[in-house]
Amino acid sequence: MDIAELNEELEKLHSASFGWALSCCRRDHAEAEEVLQTVYLKILEGKARYRGESSLKTWLFAVIRKTAIGEYRKKLVRSLVFLGSSEKHEDGVSSADGPTRIFEKSELQKQFRIALAKLPARQREALHLVFYEDLSLSEAANVMGISVGSARQHYDRGKKHLREWLSHTETENGIVWRRKETPSAV
Amino acid sequence: MELSGEEKKLQALFSELKAADEQATPHFGATWNGAQISPRKTHALNPAFVAGMMLLVFGVVAFAVWSRYSRTTSSPQPVIANAPQNPGTTPAFETASRPAPESPLPKPKNAPIVARNKVTSQHNAMLAANRKLEKDAKSIASWTSPTSALLESPSDEIFSSLPELNQSATQLKSFLPSRSN
Repeated sequence: MDIAELNEELEKLHSASFGWALSCCRRDHAEAEEVLQTVYLKILEGKARYRGESSLKTWLFAVIRKTAIGEYRKKLVRSLVFLGSSEKHEDGVSSADGPTRIFEKSELQKQFRIALAKLPARQREALHLVFYEDLSLSEAANVMGISVGSARQHYDRGKKHLREWLSHTETENGIVWRRKETPSAV
Repeated sequence: MELSGEEKKLQALFSELKAADEQATPHFGATWNGAQISPRKTHALNPAFVAGMMLLVFGVVAFAVWSRYSRTTSSPQPVIANAPQNPGTTPAFETASRPAPESPLPKPKNAPIVARNKVTSQHNAMLAANRKLEKDAKSIASWTSPTSALLESPSDEIFSSLPELNQSATQLKSFLPSRSN
């Protein structure tokens, strides 16, 4: 696959890639953008090479995940070395402006994001890949670099946690669920 | 796959999240071009790399200082005791390590030459110390008490000598107590 062809394919997947990068970076927009840029740089430099062993989306998502983990580790080391780091981590949800701010007006969505951020990374990733990216469990397992059985376990546990959160939120706050039918949901 | 009621709710929440993320997604061209023109990262200022190098340098310096210090203190020198316990006896020698030398100075640029000179001077000092020790030992061996003259008597020669078998009888008589009969 030459660079022009790859460029075209990456452009199609850009939005989904950014969403996945966001999930891997605990919803930090700036970090997700940096991770995505690093991934593109890796592809341009030939450090990350697509060999056609899986679908391009699965391969790209695996690269994004690996890069995000690497960046997170680097950040962690930096924060340990320079203890006076002024980075903020508020429940894993970073502040964002523009359209996201409008989105956050929905109290349920806000709480949902917080609940999602509180989940263990593997569970969050499994849920994101299945519900958000519409991947199958085997594809999700491929992206996460684990077996299908493990992916299923993380998916089930994550779903159970979110179900509990959902029922708790509905009973506590008396939120009336607005069913929003989406073609991909059913 | 048939989704249950709660799963549908979760799906809807994720869909809403996706829609919001899509609105906030940066333009592909900007990210792609940013990756193309971004400067290559250098590892020179990587904090982990810097910390590792500092540890390495510290380790090398510490080893150098330790090896130099251990070489100077590893060979114990014989030291003579201050004064003999009994007069006329040979001085007691004991082996003890010398006090620690002065703290090692930082190495100058011409370190090998300085080190060689230092070894030579140490050798000369050791030879001088050995000569002094020999001289002291001789003087202590020939030392006599100032009051030893008071203890001397004319019969000291008799007490200090033994009769021999080939001596004549008259000479042997002198060892016998004198009898009046």
